[in-house]
Amino acid sequence: MAEVSWICKRTVVSTKPVEAGKFCPLSVLDRIMEHNHVRVVLYYRCPKERKAGESIRMLRESLAELLSAYPIVTGRLLKTAEGHWMIKCNDAGVRMVEARAKGSVDKWLQNFDREKELNLVHWEPMFHKLYFWSTFYVQLTEFEEGGLAIGLSCGHLLSDPICVTIFIKAWADMTLNGKMVTPPLFHRLPRRRQCNETTNPQPFPELINYYKSTLEKPVPVVQAKQTTIKIAFGDEMVRSCIAMSHAPGSPDEPSPTPFQALAGLFWVGISKIKGLKNGLITMSICLDMRKVLGLDKGFFGNCMVYNQVPGDGIEEYELSKAANAIREVVDTMDAEGIMNLIEWMEGKADQFSCLMNGYDLICVNLEHVDSYSAIFEDNFKPIHASYYIEPTVGEGMILVLPSPLAKGSFSRVVMITLPEDEAINLLEDKLIQQFSPTILMMADKKHTTANSDP
Amino acid sequence: MPQILPDFSSSVKLKYVKLGYQYLVNHILTFLLVPIMAGVVLEILRLGPEEMLNIWRSLHFDLLQVLFSSFLIIFIATVYFMSKPRSVYLVDYACYKPPVTCRVPFSTFMEHSRLILKDSPKSVDFQMRILERSGLGEETCLPPAIHYIPPNPTMEDARAEAETVIFAAIDSLMKKTGLKPKDIDILIVNCSLFSPTPSLSAMVINKYKLRSNIKSFNLSGMGCSAGIISIDLARDLLQVYPNSYALVVSTEIITPNYYKGNERAMLLPNCLFRMGGAAILLSNKRREKSRAKYRLVHVVRTHKGADDKAYRCVYEQEDPQGKVGINLSKDLMVIAGEALKSNITTIGPLVLPASEQLLFLFTLIGRKIFNPKWKPYIPDFKQAFEHFCIHAGGRAVIDELQKNLQLSAEHVEASRMTLHRFGNTSSSSLWYELNYIEAKGRMKKGARVWQIAFGSGFKCNSAVWKCNRTIKAPMEGPWQDCIDRYPVHIPEVVKL
Repeated sequence: MAEVSWICKRTVVSTKPVEAGKFCPLSVLDRIMEHNHVRVVLYYRCPKERKAGESIRMLRESLAELLSAYPIVTGRLLKTAEGHWMIKCNDAGVRMVEARAKGSVDKWLQNFDREKELNLVHWEPMFHKLYFWSTFYVQLTEFEEGGLAIGLSCGHLLSDPICVTIFIKAWADMTLNGKMVTPPLFHRLPRRRQCNETTNPQPFPELINYYKSTLEKPVPVVQAKQTTIKIAFGDEMVRSCIAMSHAPGSPDEPSPTPFQALAGLFWVGISKIKGLKNGLITMSICLDMRKVLGLDKGFFGNCMVYNQVPGDGIEEYELSKAANAIREVVDTMDAEGIMNLIEWMEGKADQFSCLMNGYDLICVNLEHVDSYSAIFEDNFKPIHASYYIEPTVGEGMILVLPSPLAKGSFSRVVMITLPEDEAINLLEDKLIQQFSPTILMMADKKHTTANSDP
Repeated sequence: MPQILPDFSSSVKLKYVKLGYQYLVNHILTFLLVPIMAGVVLEILRLGPEEMLNIWRSLHFDLLQVLFSSFLIIFIATVYFMSKPRSVYLVDYACYKPPVTCRVPFSTFMEHSRLILKDSPKSVDFQMRILERSGLGEETCLPPAIHYIPPNPTMEDARAEAETVIFAAIDSLMKKTGLKPKDIDILIVNCSLFSPTPSLSAMVINKYKLRSNIKSFNLSGMGCSAGIISIDLARDLLQVYPNSYALVVSTEIITPNYYKGNERAMLLPNCLFRMGGAAILLSNKRREKSRAKYRLVHVVRTHKGADDKAYRCVYEQEDPQGKVGINLSKDLMVIAGEALKSNITTIGPLVLPASEQLLFLFTLIGRKIFNPKWKPYIPDFKQAFEHFCIHAGGRAVIDELQKNLQLSAEHVEASRMTLHRFGNTSSSSLWYELNYIEAKGRMKKGARVWQIAFGSGFKCNSAVWKCNRTIKAPMEGPWQDCIDRYPVHIPEVVKL
């Protein structure tokens, strides 16, 4: 892959030393994501007169400033007395890779795929001496003919994609203005108040049962090679999808949100591709619980919860029934239920050695993630954002992301990871074609040529 | 004369006796002169004014005698003033403050070490043990080229580091003193391990467009004591060239000298040496006397190179894998102690008050004639100096000197805190220490400072300065933003 060449790898440390003896515990929602990692890539255009290496130097200095407020990011993993993971804030820093890519950022975006994109965000899998393994990796790639790609990857143990975006936004604020708009907060997840005696001992057992069954499954083995495609839906099209997903016989029910409508659409589409006849494939949705739990905007850590949406009983690939089923599950995930789940997980003394999202089709709601307001320089907004939650070893993964257009618009970008042939077939599905999506990223070229029909 | 042995010095009575003795011996001239003056005055009063006039008239003064006498007096005065060495003043100096982005915390250093030396875990453990006991802090800095995994320092990187450090120090000095480039008559740059062609002094001349008739010198290979050697050279040149400014730049460029192998004796410098540099302005111009900070009193240089063991104790060589590094021998501290003794023997008579010298003489005679078992008397240098700047070569060096010279914790505070904040910056560490004392507001007019540096060879060099004017804190400099946090307690072993 001669397009992206490495310049160097180094460690960026904070500008202020961390006091010795500081530790940050990890919550149960953090620890359950041990085997996953998150990768984010943001693309920017640059001012024309910029000299080579100048953007990288500027960003490295502002990152060093920012890290003074994030001792958890520069720390290292250590096991507590009970055998759980925690972070020792030992001031070790984050790894940074500097790279150069041929061409310009716009040319790159016209012709890229998953494999090429993953070259822009460096990641090192955990090695056995975890005390020397950096949990965060930053890659800055300068395009020779103009443009910059910022890649950030981290262990899911420390943060979910929303938290990573908040970190990038804080970095952008630091570069632009020298201070953060939302300083980070490191605290435990909220607990249920003890005074409630009248509540049901275990309301909404489905959530806990889902987690229980997942935790008991063994870690899955990687199967067929997966690829990722990225498609964009315009505002009008999403609105019509919502209209179609609205159950015809119940006008009092609230209309589905863009996430619910698109999730339903792809649920139906993928089930069709996989050839399931009786009902839809089992799907799990992953939602952000920050608002539900009333957490402050600066909360650092994992706060996304998975829940299963039962798919049997939905015959004939009915979009409205699918969207309805999703909506029902979303409604059940309220503060009480989540806090019950957290309490139950804390009660389990064993380690979490499963892969939370390694079995079913997963649909993650990232539609309110704030990636396009991460502005590092005046007038240079990100022109593109990609998210990956790795490894993808289950039936598939769907990430619903915001689009670069104005806020409030219903347009969305969806990244779908599936086995290669299924991904290609999905794009040709009639139901999806109805909403005239724009294809932003195709499946990996090398493998499609082998599989395409003559 | 009471024999003052160290065991008895805890007794209070003896302390007063000692004080009385010191006062007597140090001011013996005054004590002798006072009765003589008193006698003369009494005599004059007794004789009365007419008798005085008679004695005056009895001395036959004729013109020739008067003329001769006055010429003699003028001649002697002229010879005296001409042969007096020119005073060398330290107008001001500036130390380089590395950027915060070059900071290397312990954990980062150890991680890099582990990633780079993954095949030699024993060497990594050794480095960790050194770092734990080193006395360094979490804010010392390494140049950018050493931060890479793996470090791949090129000559270009080394030049870049040299330019950053030296130019920043000189710019800061020029701002403080208002010095113009065309006023610099003498330029001396010392950097032990990086010696490119054209030299670093040529690099300075090129950047600042110095005069074509400048006297420039570049000292390399002379180790951590090269700073004092440069000062000595500047002083000698300022005796020859009247009305001149001499710019001395002391630094050590870390980039090309990072040891990439895994021999333990050669890994030590990697752990201790850090980025730093200083620029010093010396002058013999009379008008600088009013604004100069210090006046140079003595420079004493001692070289133990004639002894083979001393010569080989800090030795640059290739390891069995062909990687170049500096080998520090195990008897480094012993040799340093010997070199120090040598230096003290020379500097003692120059700086010690008469009381201490007499005591030393008596114990020396006593040991030679009466009883060789008497303990040698270690003169109390605290009476000769108010401040001590011991080269921050490592914790062991400072501990050793503190013990040998019987210094208190406050005397070595400047050295220990410089080691903690900046690491071992080689020849420029003395200037960071001096700056610490100034930043703490402890430098008063008339205070005497003793700078001691050790270096490869094996050399022990000292410089003695006298403070010319009280220096007010707070002031600009490398300690500006952190002086309030110091002194810190440095634990024996930092747990990593």
